[in-house]
Amino acid sequence: MKATLERATLLRCLSHVQSVVERRNTIPILSNVLIEAEAGGSLKVMATDLDLQVVEHIPAAGVDTPGAITVSAHLLFDIARKLPDGSQVSLEAADNRMTVKAGRSRFQLPTLPRDDFPTIVEGDLPTTFTLPGRLLAELIDRTRFAISTEETRYYLNGIFLHVSDGENGSGPVMRAAATDGHRLARFTLSRPEGAEGMPDVIIPRKTVAELRKLLEEALDAEVRVDLSPSKVRFTLGGENGVVLTSKLIDGTFPDYSRVIPTANDKLLRLDPRLFYQAVDRVATIATEKTRAVKMGLDNDRVTLSVTSPDNGTAAEELAAEYAADGLEIGFNANYLKDILSQMDSDVVEVHLADAGAPTLIRKNDQASALYVLMPMRV
Amino acid sequence: MAAASRKIIHIDMDAFFASVEQRDNPSLRGRPVAVGGSSGRGVVAAASYEARRFGVRSAMPSATARRLCPDLVFCKSRFDVYREVSGQIRAIFARYTPIIEPPSLDEAYLDVTDACSGGTTATAIARAIRREIAAETRLTASAGVSYNKFLAKLASDQNKPDGLCVIRPGEGADFVQRLPIRRFHGIGPRGEEKMHRLGIRTGADLAARDMVFLRAHFGSAAEYLFRVARGIDLRPVRTHRTRKSVGGERTFGEDLRDEASVRAALATIIDLVWERIARVEARGRTLTLKLKDDDFRLHSRSRSAARPLEDKEDFARLATLLLEQELPLPRPIRLLGLSLSALQDAPTGSRRDAAARAAQLSLF
Repeated sequence: MKATLERATLLRCLSHVQSVVERRNTIPILSNVLIEAEAGGSLKVMATDLDLQVVEHIPAAGVDTPGAITVSAHLLFDIARKLPDGSQVSLEAADNRMTVKAGRSRFQLPTLPRDDFPTIVEGDLPTTFTLPGRLLAELIDRTRFAISTEETRYYLNGIFLHVSDGENGSGPVMRAAATDGHRLARFTLSRPEGAEGMPDVIIPRKTVAELRKLLEEALDAEVRVDLSPSKVRFTLGGENGVVLTSKLIDGTFPDYSRVIPTANDKLLRLDPRLFYQAVDRVATIATEKTRAVKMGLDNDRVTLSVTSPDNGTAAEELAAEYAADGLEIGFNANYLKDILSQMDSDVVEVHLADAGAPTLIRKNDQASALYVLMPMRV
Repeated sequence: MAAASRKIIHIDMDAFFASVEQRDNPSLRGRPVAVGGSSGRGVVAAASYEARRFGVRSAMPSATARRLCPDLVFCKSRFDVYREVSGQIRAIFARYTPIIEPPSLDEAYLDVTDACSGGTTATAIARAIRREIAAETRLTASAGVSYNKFLAKLASDQNKPDGLCVIRPGEGADFVQRLPIRRFHGIGPRGEEKMHRLGIRTGADLAARDMVFLRAHFGSAAEYLFRVARGIDLRPVRTHRTRKSVGGERTFGEDLRDEASVRAALATIIDLVWERIARVEARGRTLTLKLKDDDFRLHSRSRSAARPLEDKEDFARLATLLLEQELPLPRPIRLLGLSLSALQDAPTGSRRDAAARAAQLSLF
């Protein structure tokens, strides 16, 4: 294999694929990227962690000898990073070594044969639809913070994606949901064409993170999604773009719809930014990881307070719209902030029932995103 | 001076497991006996005094023990019987005081301060207990009487077997001064080596060092060493010992080489340890996997869940996850173990965090 390409092209591509590669690997070849020089004058670069793989096609300045080889992803990435801007990089594989040359630099890196490089068997992916990159990015942004990191409940370690008929004649919808058992985030969009009859899937957290990174450069493009009950493939930028293929979490996501309250009769309306800042301020003195903040609701007024056994007390009063009966309720300050930081409006609606019941938070009843937060006993 | 006026007894059964075997099997009496597995990798759990004369010690590999004492008779351990006898002796203690701390099946600390208020002495109680143990179990125990746990334990060890030793208030510091460092509770062969390197051979040598020196060389153990070198130990006799972990391990007859056999072995250990966890109703968040390879190198990997592991499925899943990270095995392994820690209600600094976690209500 011998090929030449722009340093910037190589660097950009490696920055996409190298984050899939785990830093510590027990199987040596999983530390490598597969580089395949194709006769047509392009390079195919691929990385995998066995659950997730990414393939990217990049243009080469020239392919002298087609062929394929695998080499350490992090080494090659670090080298590409340190090469001078604007340089031409030549990659040549021979005798179990790959020679990387640019300007006066010359590296000889150990390689492993391409035939040992594992690829995910996609199988049949019968469901196909497309989504605008920006919408897919928003779906991820609005839900991913609620993904559980607790590995004992592995089926919560991802975003649940499913289709449904929708409510009140809204037409068929696609929904994304994530929860860690304390809070839930749900994002709704109208069902894309081709998604009807789609199986329910749980997209793993790492896949979500990698996809979101790739979307940053494809916000204005269409993303093609192909899936089966066990695999999903995202294609960004068409045939010669980036293809992310991932296994799905094999588990049953809980029936989250039953925890979304429908009859919370106490409505609080206030400015999400001011609310966020006030919560953030009083939580300064909280010492526990959970940072419980107490909210006292009264006629058009919210009183936030924190009592810490070590650091004293903090309180702040906020103007708000509230006309229901007085209520005292506690929340994890971080959970509350996570949700409030999702709000891009001037007003947020907080629908409460009592101090022990799930609380619904959303921009308004038209909003695509909806959040449910469980209180803390304070 | 509440501390100085305490009266503490330490009762320690003599070569407990081995003595039970000799009691129940007359042909073993007078012969060197070891309780434990005799197979290639067995370990001596207890050795009779006859065996100790040859240098056989508990925790010694059975192969070594056999080399030291070719006539050694191995007995399989019978924990049911040991537990039963242990129950008998605890019942005897309870006749004298409710404040009993049994660190293991064969020993206990008793606080008899209140029991002595009527004019009886702690020494008289210790004698009575030894007499009753001998009469009711046909086994012997040694007793140590002093004013704190550390000295009481040293005392019970002083005239073993079948002995009694009293260290009176005011004598503690002198008693400790003369002791070789190895006799101090918590100082094992490694600790002894280190002490010797630092020129410390006796309690007096240790007492001559100041706090700065101790802290520099022994870190968090410094305060303990500083106190016990002066015969001071303020720890109360605790009737409810808080358990810090529940675990178990197995050494295999043959090294495990392939993944299938390691997974199978893990499944066995999951069953074993979960059974123990369920029995003591422990709830913990941190699981540690322990592996010893054929070169006797010990590795451990641990991982914490956000909440206590509630059922065997969660427990097994986390255990499997820990093992998967070790695969493929770089070397064959001879020992595999699991232990659950960060137990709830354990007196750790995170109690407040745990309380806060409990305060967070759940959707599911």
